[in-house]
Amino acid sequence: MSTQDKVTIRKLSTGVPGLDEIVGGGLPEFSFNIIAGEPGSGKTTLAHQFVFANATPAQPALYFTVLGESAIKMLRYQQQYTFFDPAKLPGTIRFLNLSQVVLDGDLGAVLNGITAEVERFNPAFVVVDSFRTMARKPLSDISLQSFIQRLSLFLASWQATTFLIGEYAEDELHDNPIFTVADGLFWLRQTPERNSIVRKLQIIKLRGQNSVPGLHTFRITEAGVQAFSRTFGLTGRVRNPPSHRRLCFGVPELDNMLGGGVREGDSVLVAGPSGTGKSVLATQFIAEGLRQGESGIVAVFEERPQAYAERAANLGLDLETPQKEGKLEILYLRPLDLSVDETMHSILDAVQKIGAKRLVIDSLAGFEMALSPGFRADFRESLYRMIFALTGIGVTILSTVEVDESFTEFPFSTYSISFLADDIVRLRYVSIDGQLRKILVVIKMRGGNHAKDIREYEITSKGVVILGKRLIHYQGLISGIPIHSDRPASPDGPSEHPGTVDAS
Amino acid sequence: MTVAPGMRDLARRLLIYEAAANPLPAPSEPAALRVYEKLRQGVSEFAGIAGFQAFAARALTLAQTEAPGLSAARIAGDGSLQGLGEYGHPMKNDNDQAAESPADEGGRVLIARLLCLLVTFLGDALTLSLLRVAWPGAALDDYHSEHARKA
Repeated sequence: MSTQDKVTIRKLSTGVPGLDEIVGGGLPEFSFNIIAGEPGSGKTTLAHQFVFANATPAQPALYFTVLGESAIKMLRYQQQYTFFDPAKLPGTIRFLNLSQVVLDGDLGAVLNGITAEVERFNPAFVVVDSFRTMARKPLSDISLQSFIQRLSLFLASWQATTFLIGEYAEDELHDNPIFTVADGLFWLRQTPERNSIVRKLQIIKLRGQNSVPGLHTFRITEAGVQAFSRTFGLTGRVRNPPSHRRLCFGVPELDNMLGGGVREGDSVLVAGPSGTGKSVLATQFIAEGLRQGESGIVAVFEERPQAYAERAANLGLDLETPQKEGKLEILYLRPLDLSVDETMHSILDAVQKIGAKRLVIDSLAGFEMALSPGFRADFRESLYRMIFALTGIGVTILSTVEVDESFTEFPFSTYSISFLADDIVRLRYVSIDGQLRKILVVIKMRGGNHAKDIREYEITSKGVVILGKRLIHYQGLISGIPIHSDRPASPDGPSEHPGTVDAS
Repeated sequence: MTVAPGMRDLARRLLIYEAAANPLPAPSEPAALRVYEKLRQGVSEFAGIAGFQAFAARALTLAQTEAPGLSAARIAGDGSLQGLGEYGHPMKNDNDQAAESPADEGGRVLIARLLCLLVTFLGDALTLSLLRVAWPGAALDDYHSEHARKA
């Protein structure tokens, strides 16, 4: 059968930001779907959002309420959401209460009631909220499974896209014959994790669609449900080809050590203990990009954007003007209950809005702390997905990470994430001549040249400034407790200019 | 707890509209009862019979404190209003206000209370949508509750 012989299934927008991508481009028209989850998980809000997004006078919606939440209170609360348009009631979206039919009759009577109203109103969209309450009636002429089966057949024949809403606990998911009837099964979860609440949705099944598997986080705000796909909304997007362009820090000696700067689209890790100037270097990286006409994003977790900009101003770096000009966004991401996907959504939104080429995440420790505890366990995997997605669209990411200062080890990061970084710049304290001084070294540049030199630097009113030549009169610098050596530098020794290429 | 003047005015306008739409009703079917019935049908459709019945009972209790003519009225299990028609007389137009009987006043107060509850729970927009369906020809566009005016 050729492609043109196949039936075309029209996809309807779910009306939920982020959800269309998760369901594979939209909800199949005439599909019969179940939204399941425990009370308070957002089932009704999701259905309302779908109905308000799709119902028109020519394609109206019928919303049946059964036993359960009072319809008046439901409308009272639902109209607080921005998607709720009172002008659509009752002409375009008609709410009908079937409580009395359920109380007086059985499932057969309910089916007849729904059938009669659908035939009378001819809706394109039907919601039954909540069908599960009907299942609790002890005596009925037909089983719930039969009710669902007949309802599904009837509504599909009447060309209605349908949502049934039901309260289900997690353990009721398996071997439930009712779910076999449905074309789509949306499962909403709300889980407490220490002091945070995490909402996740899963498309258990969706016939005819290539939905994104797995658990996707979602949030309910005044705009309703917003979903955050695990693929960050980048499904089907082609990765940018590797770039040979170099991006500078604006610290000439460091840029020299990096062979002219980091490669565009790289993930750069600046690691070091507290006070070594990681944030300063990150700010210089963003400021240099702005000087070169490259928009940037700074995601801060430990301080407010205003404080960040003020600190940059102390270094002579103006971050206020580019913000006003729409070339820079400093994102302060609400702490404590974020998911990585949600953070990514904010960052991607900003990247697309201003066409950002550089992104600073300051810092990974702050990022981790801002996440809900459950997501911290998956932090490494989440970072991998995030970095892969962002660098794939050509964004160069500089992340700062704090490492414990040790005089016996030289760790690159506390997260074992150095494999995620294309380039690593390590900062550290070193004890020299009775002073606690600072050194930096380029540890790694994937696919590029970099100097092997260990250089001393200072943080001045102009930011990070590298001092003099490489430190040639000390041995054991990376231990932090070097030994002074009178051995002169070998003319064939390591150059302060790039000369090595990482094999990785 | 008093009813806002705007709500009283809306109730009065609905009663006048209903009276004008059906100028020769049966003596036992005053305009207030017909307005009430239309509200009952409209609200019961989405809130259910029990939902409307609870609303109406609350409205009647509040209305009875300010309208002695409602002392015999009661809300049946299906939400219908009983005991109002025994005293009511149809209101024909604005000029009839001066001759309003205690039962007419009671009907008007009850409708105002019911509208007030609807606005409290559903807001102006949804309440107006409901009224426009029940009285498609009535001019209600200039109506705003006191609460909405403040906003």
